[in-house]
Amino acid sequence: MKPDTDPLLDYIERNIERTLADCTSCGKCFDVCPMPQYSAKLAGQTGGDIVAGVLDILHGKGGTPAAVEWTRLCTQSATCIPACPENVNPMLMLRLARITALGSTGAPAQLPDLKRDPNFFRRINAFASLQLSEAELAEWQR
Amino acid sequence: MSERVVFWYGCNAVRHGDIIHSAIEVMRAVGIESDVAGGPAYCCGTIKDGNLQAAAGMATRTVEKFNQSGRDKVVTWCPSCHRHMGTFMTGIATANFEVSHITEMLHARRHLLAPLMQHRIERKVVLHTHTGFHEVDANPLVADLLRLIPGLEVVVTDYSAPGHMCSALAPVPAALIDVVRHCVDQTATHGTDTLVTVFHSCQRLLCGLATTDGIKVTNYVNLLTQAMGIATAPDEYAQWKNAGSEAAIVESIGAERIAKIGAEFFAKQVMPELRRLPEK
Repeated sequence: MKPDTDPLLDYIERNIERTLADCTSCGKCFDVCPMPQYSAKLAGQTGGDIVAGVLDILHGKGGTPAAVEWTRLCTQSATCIPACPENVNPMLMLRLARITALGSTGAPAQLPDLKRDPNFFRRINAFASLQLSEAELAEWQR
Repeated sequence: MSERVVFWYGCNAVRHGDIIHSAIEVMRAVGIESDVAGGPAYCCGTIKDGNLQAAAGMATRTVEKFNQSGRDKVVTWCPSCHRHMGTFMTGIATANFEVSHITEMLHARRHLLAPLMQHRIERKVVLHTHTGFHEVDANPLVADLLRLIPGLEVVVTDYSAPGHMCSALAPVPAALIDVVRHCVDQTATHGTDTLVTVFHSCQRLLCGLATTDGIKVTNYVNLLTQAMGIATAPDEYAQWKNAGSEAAIVESIGAERIAKIGAEFFAKQVMPELRRLPEK
């Protein structure tokens, strides 16, 4: 890793450590999540087992396929946040797990990076050119 | 008393220049002047979870730019940018500015907005909401703003879609289909043909309902400018999406604008998006 990534890695590591310290794997975050209904891989799973798998991802030990699937499915609904009795932010926990599962922190990748789209910013620039004036482009997007 | 801020509209909001322009005008009307910033040069980096070097570079660059802006407040539009600023970005870079969401800014000045709502809008609308923007409870703030508009009947249902905005659901197509179905059902249940969005990506992904279900989808800031009598640009993205054919889209955009981005890129990267309609 290049040095300028270190602050971000440190930030991620600090938050992973805090999550691992506070989370009791009670599974209430999974129980209130609106997304498991959209995956057959999560049918019949219990919250405690799923969250334990997420913590394994954060430990860098990989996670169960169901835990990886739940990190993939997170759409940031935030319904999990008030459900946590330990004031963990489960939405952030899943984001950290996804970052880890993508292999970004050095652990083996368990998820494909579907957001790696070479035309993502080119499309944004194209729509900006269609929607904004030359002066606005020069002043607002410089 | 005028206040000068950075208005940070994010990246994908540029698909709706009308929203950006309306937001600037509404803020100006209540004494908030904007230094406007957005696009890839101000990307927060939230989409780069798979490339932390890029994520870190984008986050620190954008914070540093705002630090150098000379403004002590950044007003956000995009909930994703707002969230990323409050977590990862300021977790790795020191910000010399406060961050507020535009809904908070406008809601705090609704006493200034109210007397500006001089043009009645005789319409019943359903507010399209999401659960996920937990940093700012934007849904009731927007509902309050819309209720300032004389003649407008605002329906707030007990259904909120998952995610912080519709684009968050794109990786789970079945969930987005459910949301679209709810939108159609809600408008029918409440006897209206108008859905009001809070965020740009909902506007982007739902505006095609005009074609599929005869539902007009409009963003709340455009209703505010309309009620204020401020002439702003139309929602061209929605016009293009509902144009009906590739030929009609090309005609609506015009050859000159298409040439600016390149005909081949337009055909391969822009046209397919504009032809994609909501599924339910």
